[in-house]
Amino acid sequence: MIVESSDQVPRLSWLKRFPIPRNFKVTPESRIEKGRIWPAPADAKRIKAFEIYRYDPDSGGNPRLDTFHVDVDDCGPMVLDALFWIKNKVDSTLTFRRSCREGVCGSCAMNMDGTNWLACTRFISDMDTNATIYPLANMRIIKDLVPDLTHVFAQYAAIEPWLRSETPEPEKERLQSPEERSQLDGYYECILCFCCTSGCPSHWWNGNRFLGPAVLLQAWRWLTDSRDEAKGERLDALEDPFRLYRCHTILNCTRTCPKGLNPGKAIAEIKRAIVEREK
Amino acid sequence: MIKNGTTDGNSTPARPRPLSPNIQIYRPQLTSVLSIANRFTGLVLSLGAVGLVIWLSAAAAGPRTYGVMQSAIGNWAGQVVLFGCTFAFFLHLCGGIRHLVWDTVHGFELRSIYISGWTVVAASVVLTAAAWTISLFVAGWHL
Repeated sequence: MIVESSDQVPRLSWLKRFPIPRNFKVTPESRIEKGRIWPAPADAKRIKAFEIYRYDPDSGGNPRLDTFHVDVDDCGPMVLDALFWIKNKVDSTLTFRRSCREGVCGSCAMNMDGTNWLACTRFISDMDTNATIYPLANMRIIKDLVPDLTHVFAQYAAIEPWLRSETPEPEKERLQSPEERSQLDGYYECILCFCCTSGCPSHWWNGNRFLGPAVLLQAWRWLTDSRDEAKGERLDALEDPFRLYRCHTILNCTRTCPKGLNPGKAIAEIKRAIVEREK
Repeated sequence: MIKNGTTDGNSTPARPRPLSPNIQIYRPQLTSVLSIANRFTGLVLSLGAVGLVIWLSAAAAGPRTYGVMQSAIGNWAGQVVLFGCTFAFFLHLCGGIRHLVWDTVHGFELRSIYISGWTVVAASVVLTAAAWTISLFVAGWHL
């Protein structure tokens, strides 16, 4: 009932998805059709079913939901291992992003059993009986589990995520006290996997103009940096009904962050900074 | 709109890339469910405000109109609606207080988010029950 940290897997959820039609607000080209059912190897003893979103841009067809049967005894412990097992042994066309396989690169962010997380740090044993894997929610899909992140990275660039300073460059590094440095804790660790932005209902409805939790957390990371001197201009750029204030403190972001960070709190800090400078 | 196509941008016929599902597959959580509930109860309350104005107008129009209005509220369907409005009022009130606390940048640890969320639910149930118990005790049982 009480979730202590974001790595807690939802077990006692009353519903796996909202009770709405499958095609609610879905445009024709995004409708998901029934896909293939791939059987397990004949000698497999422990089998786990994975329903996986597939989209092949070359086929000209719609996305579909394939069911794979994974031999758990022949496969590593993580969901990413299951994806590799499928790609190596069943269907080599299954496409997904991955790099570090240890939760520091953010490439394998996807929607597993209805919430966003990294496939490399989610245990297969924590997945539902019929595990479901979709790409990050609310993204244009290039192929299978690979989302097009162009838009969210453009939003990231819009907050100018670099040090802006008027003071002449010092001979050595720009110094910070330990206290000033600690202001960045909980924000600099963001790996830009976009689990939070993709899980934010406000970003689903207003993603064109609302910057979303990942980008706003980064915005606060620069606002709270003692070496940065563009605080006023940064706040000016954010003070906008859509860019910042479409955040309605739903907090799906904080619930889903695979690094245990708190985008919801970062956004509240920005809102307070705007109020306080107007005093 | 983002289109498919090759990098030279002119050889493949454009077909829009599909949008991955969002609300259709995302797991309901206390965070999102209470947010929707706050929206929905806000809507119910604004409709309830219209009802309140109609009730006051009926009272101003005279005893006959008021009597019709009272019997509409007094039957079981009216009572269910009224009960729903009371619960909506308290859920929206408690949720609003939770948002005010958040605006001071307090209570953002995941544990606090869940504790305050369930507190809002429990407080709304208790306050609704208390309000009805008191009003039935004061006004008497007229059904």
